[in-house]
Amino acid sequence: MRIPILKLKRYLLISVQVDLDDQTALQFQEDLLNKIHQEGSAGVVIDLTSVDMIDSFIAKVLGDVVEMSNLMGAKVVLTGIQPGVAITLIDMGIMLEEVPTALDLEQGLDKLQQELEA
Amino acid sequence: MQSSVIEMVYTHRHEVIEQWKEEMINIQEGEFTNGAAQAAVTRTNDEFAALIIDTLEMDKEEARLRLRSFSERLMYSGWPLSYFTKGLQLFRRVLLRFMTTNDTIPSSKVFETFQEVENWMDGIVNQLVDEYTGSWEHTLELQKLALKELSAPLIPVFENISVMPLIGTIDTERAKLVMENLLEGIIEHRSQVVLIDITGVPVVDTMVAHHIIQAAEAVRLVGAECILVGIRPEIAQTIVNLGIDLGKFPTKSTLRKGIESGLERTNRQIVNL
Amino acid sequence: MSVQSNVEVHSEWGIVSARQAGRNLAKELGFAGVDQARITTAISELARNIYLYAEKGEIVLEGIEGKEAGGVKRGLKIVAKDQGPGIKSIREVMEDGYTTSGGLGAGLPGVKRLMDEFDIDSITGEGTEITTIKWLR
Repeated sequence: MRIPILKLKRYLLISVQVDLDDQTALQFQEDLLNKIHQEGSAGVVIDLTSVDMIDSFIAKVLGDVVEMSNLMGAKVVLTGIQPGVAITLIDMGIMLEEVPTALDLEQGLDKLQQELEA
Repeated sequence: MQSSVIEMVYTHRHEVIEQWKEEMINIQEGEFTNGAAQAAVTRTNDEFAALIIDTLEMDKEEARLRLRSFSERLMYSGWPLSYFTKGLQLFRRVLLRFMTTNDTIPSSKVFETFQEVENWMDGIVNQLVDEYTGSWEHTLELQKLALKELSAPLIPVFENISVMPLIGTIDTERAKLVMENLLEGIIEHRSQVVLIDITGVPVVDTMVAHHIIQAAEAVRLVGAECILVGIRPEIAQTIVNLGIDLGKFPTKSTLRKGIESGLERTNRQIVNL
Repeated sequence: MSVQSNVEVHSEWGIVSARQAGRNLAKELGFAGVDQARITTAISELARNIYLYAEKGEIVLEGIEGKEAGGVKRGLKIVAKDQGPGIKSIREVMEDGYTTSGGLGAGLPGVKRLMDEFDIDSITGEGTEITTIKWLR
């Protein structure tokens, strides 16, 4: 299973709509980095509104993806993390401290714009 | 109930009660009855003595119901449990004195009667304690529920700005509830900035601070920002003295300053016209 | 005795089906959204540990009842068991940040925090059994 990656001008948009299993998450990591490389994207928004569970493995993959993208010069914003998911992550002691977040896709794009202008 | 006890109690009913009442006066000192009217104390004692003796001839179920209605009524008017447990101890002592001093009971039966008295009194004590604790647990449940209902709502004050006032002590259970309300409210109102107002939190110790920090982290994960407001001088002192690091998110002394800061973060400001 | 479901874990798909079974049972028992997320995440962590360290094992999910002041409380019990190598130092694995797999080291201590009761039983060379319960609020 592959997660589709959309291109919008300088940005890449991803809306995760499936229950993330390990293989899908790792495949996504690889696909996204290739796409950033290919398109020379400046920013990425990953929308997690439909994701209802993030365990420590998926959290690690997401954190890694943000760090790797940053290395390649693309800023990443995670959006739409659900209350239950956020609370579970905090309970587990996973803060994702270096990862920028926004409420939804729209605000995520605003945030990217601000960060890139700053 | 056992015949030898019944016989003894009924033949000496009057003396037993009189002696018991005389000694009950000593129990009253320094306890609840100090403030109660003498008439009420006398009435309760009369009723209590009559009930104790009545239970001798009741079956278990009837005794249970009578004790329950008696204890419910007294609990309601604030009689402490200890008054009745002490009263029962005294009753036992009075009875035993009767058994041993006057030749009321043939010596062959003393031991047997002694045991019967013990069982009788223990039964009443257990029942009273059960009734009292049952009612305490019930009250506690109700209070917990009331506290839950009192728990923090998230109030939208401007577009994208909401306030959550916290009132009272924050324990782990309440902290969880606060966090859930907070996050669900943020999604519902699309809040970019939330002000958590701790003006009404009496004490901020490491535990409370931990809960607040966790809430702020969770708020950040769902994509909003947290400003902690209502930090009184003594709270600032304890936070620093305890070595709690709140450095990761902004704090303001008052709700007003917090709102100004929130507007600024969402590119707005209040101007005089 | 209420419903019980067993899920075999011997591939990554076992992880997915275990947490789906967990979510369904949690819903059925009346857990709210946040607690559903806590339960599925805990199952995911436990199933992943089986897959990573023991290669195969099973997750047993069960609705249970327990006593509390003033009545009966209901809950969901997760038992994760395997015949893997066992855990050498339970104290170490319960520390935050301890990892032998390169993960975040949030797994077991995380599960303990997500759930209400947690018990771990492991014999080196024979296997591990972890039992954990979430009570309905």
